[in-house]
Amino acid sequence: MDTSHLSEHAGTAAALFASVFVVATSTMRTMIPLRIFGILSNLVVIGLAIPSRGYLVIVVQSLVLVLNSYRLHQMLQLVRDVKRSVNSDLSMEWLKPFMTERKYIAGEVLFYKDEKAEDMLYIVSGRFRLVESGIELPVGAIVGELGMLSPSKGRTQTLECVEAGMILSVSYSKVEELYVQNPAFGFYFLRLATARLFENIANLEQRLAQQAPPAPISAAANPA
Amino acid sequence: MRSILSSIRYLLSDFIGEDDDAPPFLPEGLPDAVVPEVSEGIHLLMDYQGPGYAQLYVDRLQRFVGRRGVDSAMLGEIARLMALRMGYEDPIRIAQLRLAEFERAAGDPRAPSAEVMLLKFRFDELIGALPAAVAQPVLDLLDWMGWTHRPVSIRFSTKSRWGIRRLKIEASLRRWRRFSVRYTKERAWVERWLHMIGRSLDKQPKAAAVIVQSATMIQGYGDGYRQGLADWHALIDGLVKPTFDGVLPLADLGAAITEARAAAMPDPRQIALKRSIAEIRARALAAGANAAAG
Repeated sequence: MDTSHLSEHAGTAAALFASVFVVATSTMRTMIPLRIFGILSNLVVIGLAIPSRGYLVIVVQSLVLVLNSYRLHQMLQLVRDVKRSVNSDLSMEWLKPFMTERKYIAGEVLFYKDEKAEDMLYIVSGRFRLVESGIELPVGAIVGELGMLSPSKGRTQTLECVEAGMILSVSYSKVEELYVQNPAFGFYFLRLATARLFENIANLEQRLAQQAPPAPISAAANPA
Repeated sequence: MRSILSSIRYLLSDFIGEDDDAPPFLPEGLPDAVVPEVSEGIHLLMDYQGPGYAQLYVDRLQRFVGRRGVDSAMLGEIARLMALRMGYEDPIRIAQLRLAEFERAAGDPRAPSAEVMLLKFRFDELIGALPAAVAQPVLDLLDWMGWTHRPVSIRFSTKSRWGIRRLKIEASLRRWRRFSVRYTKERAWVERWLHMIGRSLDKQPKAAAVIVQSATMIQGYGDGYRQGLADWHALIDGLVKPTFDGVLPLADLGAAITEARAAAMPDPRQIALKRSIAEIRARALAAGANAAAG
């Protein structure tokens, strides 16, 4: 009995089945569902290519499967970390995988007061000082996290390197990209930024309360 | 249909330019007397880079509008000199200017005939005009070979069709100018200059006009540009910053800057300038010590 027409129909049905997943993937609006449907599409196409021994398709789809899985993992980890941060120490360490390294030598100025802010910085090593206030920032401090949300986007102080060190930086456009791609991240990022803002206000209020008699102006800061 | 085209244009904006080419508004509260300079600056930077860059110019200028100690004359000078510095002359700009000249001359039969312009840049200046991702490995390699400061002659010709095509390709690199190594350095310079003007207004208002004019030390391209830049930094690091930091008791900073600038020669080792700065510093420290003792 000739069964070639049956296998032909089965092939068409399988291609249709795979197309449903490919179309469904394209209709996703945000990154996590897009990746999940991308992975499902990859699995379906690989499964359908095995009987027909389409090795090239299997290899290409396997590579895309690995990429989709890695990106999904990265995205889920980001949401989990930022959510954890909101509920614990308000740290911004979860941004580290998206940051790039920069080295600075003593005397170099990272940015000036009033300059338009375009990136967020994380101090990895060395000593850095906010020159107008004279405050030295500890290793692990984040600079410019609120600038992204401020209307003027201007730096409020000058940051100078006092002792050679390393900084990780991420541009606001990159954070915006994460925000737009992933609504869950966006929501928790806003909560985190607001919490940090309230924390700053509380610190200022505390400092104000401690300055009961007006304190003399501290040693002159030396802006660059 | 229009919205679809607009989306496609936005997607490709890095390659085909910005969709919105409307110039930015003038800074709020700008005195009428300064409007011509600022409008000219905006026009220059729109042509140089685009509306986003012109907006950055307006934002920078806004810091000085209505500030105590800044009159219309000083604001006009800040606006004029900042536009000149933000429109720095890199090989892309020279290509833009040559093309504009050629297009103007094309409609005017009395215009001088096309010519070949041969300009000398340095390797780092030439490569620095490219996006950092491309330029940095090349600069590292040049540095390793010891060729970073080597002069290199570049032809800007409108004589042949190939020359004009080449100018167009070079001018089109302006899309990536803001990602270049040179842009990062120029941005830091402009911010430092504005920062010093701001500090002068707070600490030595009389010297502010002289610091504004210090921008004229940096002009052109090639060795002349590098020399001016090095002299400017020597002046700021040797006299201006220490005075503002309270380390150097210079009563008349403006006069000191003028004196040191007069000593600056076209000398890469900056012998005369450094000597002059050292003398001014020694005088100021001695005068400070006498005042403290007496």
